[in-house]
Amino acid sequence: MKIKIDTRPLWIVLLSRWWRFPVYVLLGYFLYRSYGLTPPTGLTIEGFRALMVFLTCLILWVFHLLPLPITGLFALVAPPLMGVMSVKQAFTFFGSEPVFFILGVFILAAALLKSGLSTRLALRLLRSSAKSPKRLILQVMFASALLSFIMSEHAVAAMMFPLVVIITQALQFQPQGGSYGRILFLAMAWGCVVGGIATMLGGGRVPLAVGILQESGFGTITFLEWSRAVFPIVLVLFAFCYVLLTRYYPIDVDSVEEADKTLAEQVAKLGRPLLEEHFLGLLLVGAVLGWMFLGHRIGMATISILAVVLLFMFRVVSWEDLQENVEWGIILMYGGAIGISSILNSTGAGLWLAHTYVVPHLHSPWILIAVLSLATILLTEAMSNSAVVAVLLPIGMSVAKSFGLDPKVTVFAVGTASGLAYALPMSTPSVALAYSSGYLRLKEVVVPAAIMVAVSYGALLLTAKFWWPLLGIRI
Amino acid sequence: MENLGLLKLQLLYYGIRAGEGLPSPLANPFGLVHLVLPDKTPVSVHRNDNGRESPFTLKKDGARFHLDIADRECVPVKWTPPLTCYQKKTSSGLPVADILTVHGDFIAVHPSHACRFGQSGLSCRYCGSSKELSQHPPFTPRDLVEAVQIVLKEKRCDLVALSSGRVDTDDGGVEKLAMWVAEIRKHLNVLISLDLVPPASNDWIDQTYAMGVDAVYYDTDFFNPNDEPKKDFEKHKTRQLEALEYAGKIFPTGAVLSHLVVGLEPLEETKKSIDLLIDRGVVPVLTYFPPYDGSSLRARWTATPEAIVPLYAHLYERLVRTHINPQWVQQYDVVLTPLEGRFFSEQSARYHLKLKHFYETGFGRALRFGLAGLRRHLRVREVPRG
Repeated sequence: MKIKIDTRPLWIVLLSRWWRFPVYVLLGYFLYRSYGLTPPTGLTIEGFRALMVFLTCLILWVFHLLPLPITGLFALVAPPLMGVMSVKQAFTFFGSEPVFFILGVFILAAALLKSGLSTRLALRLLRSSAKSPKRLILQVMFASALLSFIMSEHAVAAMMFPLVVIITQALQFQPQGGSYGRILFLAMAWGCVVGGIATMLGGGRVPLAVGILQESGFGTITFLEWSRAVFPIVLVLFAFCYVLLTRYYPIDVDSVEEADKTLAEQVAKLGRPLLEEHFLGLLLVGAVLGWMFLGHRIGMATISILAVVLLFMFRVVSWEDLQENVEWGIILMYGGAIGISSILNSTGAGLWLAHTYVVPHLHSPWILIAVLSLATILLTEAMSNSAVVAVLLPIGMSVAKSFGLDPKVTVFAVGTASGLAYALPMSTPSVALAYSSGYLRLKEVVVPAAIMVAVSYGALLLTAKFWWPLLGIRI
Repeated sequence: MENLGLLKLQLLYYGIRAGEGLPSPLANPFGLVHLVLPDKTPVSVHRNDNGRESPFTLKKDGARFHLDIADRECVPVKWTPPLTCYQKKTSSGLPVADILTVHGDFIAVHPSHACRFGQSGLSCRYCGSSKELSQHPPFTPRDLVEAVQIVLKEKRCDLVALSSGRVDTDDGGVEKLAMWVAEIRKHLNVLISLDLVPPASNDWIDQTYAMGVDAVYYDTDFFNPNDEPKKDFEKHKTRQLEALEYAGKIFPTGAVLSHLVVGLEPLEETKKSIDLLIDRGVVPVLTYFPPYDGSSLRARWTATPEAIVPLYAHLYERLVRTHINPQWVQQYDVVLTPLEGRFFSEQSARYHLKLKHFYETGFGRALRFGLAGLRRHLRVREVPRG
C-alpha cells in the first residue's frame, strides 16, 4: 500500500468520508419514530416493525452504508430491540442449516486452494492448448466454469487469475496491447460467472436463497433439483459466451505454443500429487455425491460439516489456513439475511407488502418472474449478489404466494439471475479481478457484456417456460 | 523605545550586559537569558560577554526588571528564570539539557548529533547543540519522550521541533526521524515539526505528513554566490521550489516554513527568496543570528538591525496579502517571527493577534491539536501501489 494525501477542499473530503453519519442518524430516528406509530390496516404491530427493520437493512445493503456482514448482524439484533421477537429466537437464525452448509462449503473450497489441488486441476484442464488460440480460450473458460461447479466462483477466479497472467506473459502481451489478452481475462471471469450458477457450490447466494426459503417454511430445494433446473441455462450461456468472445474481439495471435510450454513448466513445478491432494479429491467427490443423493435425507449441512471434520481428522489443512481463506463475514451476513426474511414471513409483513404494493401492478405470475429476474440481473451488476438475494427474495416469495405460486419458483429465478453479472468491476469479484489485470476497459467490455446480460435473461425465461415445467416447477 | 520589533532585533544582535544584583543563574545552560518585552514579545538573548559592545543592560529594581538602553531610556521587561528541568535526568541518566532546548512554546531537538553549527565548536543558539554535546552518549526516542515530559511538567510547550541535520539522502531526512515522530505521537499530545531538506520525490512529503508531522521547516538556498556551477544550481533550485509548492498543498496553510538566514547574502536576494517562498505558500522565517566573534562567518556579516527592518515589513505585508497563516511560528524567541513583522507595518494585525491569543488559551490549544489530528485523519489514505 502507498500513502496518498487527499488534497481536495476539506469540506469535500469531510463530506465524502463522513456522509454516512447523518444517514445513520436519520435511519436511527426513522426506526425510533416507527416504534411508536400505529400500523396500517391489515398489518400487525410486529409486522409493521419487522417491515421497518427490513427497510432499514435494505437501505444499508443497497447503499453499502455498512459492510454486508455488519448489516447482517444488525438485522439480527434490531428485531428484538423493536419488540418483534425475543432475543433468544433472533439468534437461533445463526444456527440454521444453510448457514452451516455454506460454512462447510467455504472450508472445503479453502482446503482446495490451500492444498494446490484446484491449481493442479486448472493446469490439467488448460494443458494441450497448443493447437490453436481459440482452443486456449475454450480451455480457460471450461476450466473456470468446471471448477466453479465445485468451488465458489470468487475462489476459482482468484486461483485462475495468476495462471492467465502467466499465459499472457508467456505470449508477451501487454495490457491494452491487443485483444487476445482481453479475451483470455474475460473468458476466465465469464467462465466463472456461468459455471457459478450450475450448482449450489458456485457461491453463497444459492444456499442463501434456499435458506431463506427453508426458514420461511416453504420447504427446500435439493442439490440435484437445483442443478437440474439451471443446467440448460449453463450450457446455452457457455456456448454463447465462447462464440461471442471469439467473434466480437479479433484474435490477433497465430500461435499459443509458448503458453503451453509455460503451463507445462508450471505442471512440472507442482510435481506429483501429494497424498493430501488425493484424499481431498476423494473427499470432495464423496461430498458432492452425498449432497446429490443424501442431502434431502440427512441434510446438506450435515454432509458439508462431516466433510470438514474428515478434512481435519486427516490433517489436510490447519485451522490457520482456514482463518486466512474463508469468508467469515459472508456467514454473518447470511445469518442476518435469513433471519430478516423469516421474520417478514412469520409476521405477515411480506404478504401485506406484496398485496398492497406489488400484486396490484402485476397481472400474471409470468410478469412476476420476468420483472423479478430482470430486477435481479440489473441490481446484481451494481450490488453484491447476496445482498440482492436478501433484498428481493423475501418480497418475491410473498408475491408468489399471493399468486398461488410455489415460492420455490422465485428462488430459482432470483438465485440464478443474481449470479449473472458481467460488466462492472463491482458486480462480482471474478469480473473485478479481470479488470485488475489492466487488459480491460469498461468501454470495450460494455457491449458484449450487455449482449451477455440480454442472452442470460432470455435463456432464464425460456428455461422457466419450457424446461422447468418438465421438472414439475410450474408457473 | 519606539519600536518593539527593532528592539528585539537589536537585542538579538548586541546581546545584553548584566547589571548588578541579578539573580543567579541568569541564563539557561546555553547562555541565553529569557526576557519578555512589552506586548508579550518573547526574546532569548545572549549575554554580551564576548566583546561586542551592547547598549542594553538588564537591571533589577526591587522585584521588577528593566532594560537600560545606553543610560538614556528604560524598557520594562519580564525576566523568566531558566528552566530547572534542564538539570533533571531521564531514567537512563541523561540530563534534559543534553537532549533538548526550549524556545518559548516549542522544544528544539537534534536527535542524532549536533547541528553543523554546533559541530564547528560553538554552541548553536537555535538547537543548543555544541561540539561537547555531540560527544555525549546518543539518546533514544524513549529518552526524548521522557525529557519532553519533564519539560511539560514545568512549562507549557505546544510543539516539538526535530531536526534531521544536513542530509544528502533522497528522503531529505524523513526516514531517520520517523521513529522519533512515532514515539512522540504514541506518548505525547503535542504538535510536531521537522527540519528537513526538500526531498527528491513528493512521495516523501506525503509520507512526512502521514507519519504524524504537523509542520515542516525546509532547508533552502536560493542564492548562488557562484559556489556551484550554474546549471546544477538551477536544477537544484527548481526541485526545491517544486517540493515546497507540493508541501504547501499537503500541509495546513502556514505549516510549511523555511529559514532564511539574514545577513549572509545581499538583502535584495533575501527579499527575492521571501517572494519565491510566499508565492508557493511557504512561510519564510528570517533568522537573524549574528555570528559570534571569532566565527568564520563574522567577516561576511553585513546586516545591522536597522538595515533589515524593511525585510520584516515586506514579509509581514506579503503574508497578510496572501492570507497565509503565520501562527505556526508563535513564541519563537530567538528570531523575530513573521507576525512580529507587524511592528514595522501599517497593516492591522488584529485578526492574527486574536487568533494567537485564542490558541494560547486551554480551549484554543485543545482545539488546535484536535483539528490538526482530524485534518490528518481525513486527508491521509492508503491506496494500492501502481
